[in-house]
Amino acid sequence: MTSLPVRLGERFGLLDHVPPGLPEGARPPRHTFRWDLDKTYLRTEFDSLRDLAKSAIETASDKQAYPGATALLRALRQDDHRICIVSGSPTQMRQVLAAKLALDGVEYDEFVLKNNLKNILRGRFRALRAQLPYKLPAMLRSRIGAAAEAETLFGDDAEADAIIYCLYADLLAGRVTLADLERVLVAARTYDDDVNRILALARDVPKADAVRRMFIHLDRRSPPLGFRRFGPRLVPVFNYFQAALVLYEDRVLSARQVIFVALEMLDSGQYEIGNLATSIQDIIRRGRVTRETALQLSAEAQEAARSGALSGRNDLPPFDEIAESFRERVRELRGIVPPVDAAEALDYVRLVDEEHEQRRSRRRRGIG
Amino acid sequence: MHRIVVDAMGGDHAPDEVVQGAAEASLALAGAEIILVGDAAVLGRLLPRLRHDGARMRVHHAPTHVEMDEKPAEALAAKPEASIAVAADLVARGEGDALVSAGNTGASVLACARRWTLLEGVRRAALAAVYPTELRRGEKDDPFSLILDVGATIDATAEDLVGFAVMGSAYAKLVSSNRRPRVALLSNGTEAGKGPASIVAAHAALVETTELNFIGNIEGLDIPRGVADVVVTSGFVGNVVLKMLEGVSETVVRLARYAHKERLTWRLGLLALSSAIDQLKTITDWQQYGGAPLLGFTHPFIKAHGRSSARAITNAVKVAHKALAGNLCGNIARTMAELDERARRRPRTADPVPPASAEDDR
Repeated sequence: MTSLPVRLGERFGLLDHVPPGLPEGARPPRHTFRWDLDKTYLRTEFDSLRDLAKSAIETASDKQAYPGATALLRALRQDDHRICIVSGSPTQMRQVLAAKLALDGVEYDEFVLKNNLKNILRGRFRALRAQLPYKLPAMLRSRIGAAAEAETLFGDDAEADAIIYCLYADLLAGRVTLADLERVLVAARTYDDDVNRILALARDVPKADAVRRMFIHLDRRSPPLGFRRFGPRLVPVFNYFQAALVLYEDRVLSARQVIFVALEMLDSGQYEIGNLATSIQDIIRRGRVTRETALQLSAEAQEAARSGALSGRNDLPPFDEIAESFRERVRELRGIVPPVDAAEALDYVRLVDEEHEQRRSRRRRGIG
Repeated sequence: MHRIVVDAMGGDHAPDEVVQGAAEASLALAGAEIILVGDAAVLGRLLPRLRHDGARMRVHHAPTHVEMDEKPAEALAAKPEASIAVAADLVARGEGDALVSAGNTGASVLACARRWTLLEGVRRAALAAVYPTELRRGEKDDPFSLILDVGATIDATAEDLVGFAVMGSAYAKLVSSNRRPRVALLSNGTEAGKGPASIVAAHAALVETTELNFIGNIEGLDIPRGVADVVVTSGFVGNVVLKMLEGVSETVVRLARYAHKERLTWRLGLLALSSAIDQLKTITDWQQYGGAPLLGFTHPFIKAHGRSSARAITNAVKVAHKALAGNLCGNIARTMAELDERARRRPRTADPVPPASAEDDR
């Protein structure tokens, strides 16, 4: 347990929060799930100053998680699995965000927030909005403290999560060298001392092709095709039922856990069974989940339903009806062959430059 | 959740503009699901390029489609799995709630007529069209009046015309937020006795209604003025009128282009009027209106213009959603039932005394 002065220092942004890492002698985690918070877990608007202000004064109970995200996080929290949250929200919001996660029953091992006060005090105004020079070292430091066999990353399409996560994955796998990384950091307008610090972390981080999956939550409803260049491991999702389907195919989640994600989405009132069925069709059509997986899930879900996964849910139609509507959505596609994504070598410098231009363009248009 | 079926392969700019328009609509309509009917492989390639909501938009495969210049009956016979037929089928089977198409008008109407049922009390369906007028109407200052029928039914009886009036009024109330749309019969004079027998009889029936704001007969020249919000006529006359109005608009544009090229003074005059012309173009832009309905069936069908761009399709889908949310078909059925009830309760006039027969003299 950190001391009170340290906690206060972290709370007010005078000290950087350093994740505790694994206790001495502890077994390394099997799987680490890294989550962004705003627009990935929480429905946050900060496209205007007014939205920013509103977000800053919201209470924990005002904050809304995306339907299905809480059930998914809870399902991922298993033995030997680690939940690490890296958020661009300022450190001053730790209390309210931690309270929100507690309200939702979400347990985590790390929770890193951005020390923007330090950036302001040092006159580092570029760093206030920059994501790559903040998130990448946070993830590297986290892995140094507790290196898992496998990692799955969750982000959104509002900023540069897809680029940062792929860069992180390729760094760990040795596909990006330190020299490449330096060029990318310079392109991302990183301050010189931060470049050196990040390179040192990249040198020390345990290497392995550990990142199995990256999910990009389409908060802005960006066209999914724009993410194809990142390869098949990166899956843009419209909702967390789609993420759960992919994780089921990856054998990370059971059918029962997928059902719980679906139930949370139905209970939110923002989704109906038809929307979930359409979500299945969408993810199959995009080639991210196979028809066979969908059929297998249907069979296992039926078994789970029989053994009580849907007990007490008299508001739902019989499971056979639900399963049939899902199967019908798949049949609607007839025999079309989904596309196959090939991984291509990514030019991260170009990606960073493009992302920077897009952000500037959005700011000029007044949309954040 | 309202399910709006979109014929993705119908229209001059299909499927690209149709899919884009539907994708935009999926972002705007939280309470709707959009079902794109067409070649699933083609649609599957187009959708990921667009911003859309993947939980509210799906694809239903149809291997063929009816071209714009094909003869409707022949095309539907040769292509039973054409996108418009499959789309109409989905709605007929209860797997969709409304239909939108920018495709071959004749094939659309025929596909619906063969698969859907008419509302209780409605004898014939009517295809409506919108036309920009001088006067505006409703809470939204709508510049368009509604003309029906414009071709679903060639001949119309008096009962049909009354039905068209009811349907057009219900539609205008909903789409233009016009509480009391002015309904008129198109005739060759404003007097009650003018026109063919069907018009005279329809006039007599409509005058007695309280459900409709019937203002009597209007003549052709009253249409562009916007004296009526709903203009009722037979399909034959309506189709001729509509084509003539479109021809007039096109001629005006051609004349303006000619004037622009011909003389400098005319060009300067047009330049001086350019902002007014732009304003006119904006208020008469059919793309923002999004299409017009086929009325009378148990489900709404919005027929978008064949040249519809994405914006027009988005608006057509929104109009379909509005028709569902506002229970258009239910309102039409209720009004028809009320008229029917009144007609039944109306005291019958005394039967004429039969002429004396030879038998009585005996």
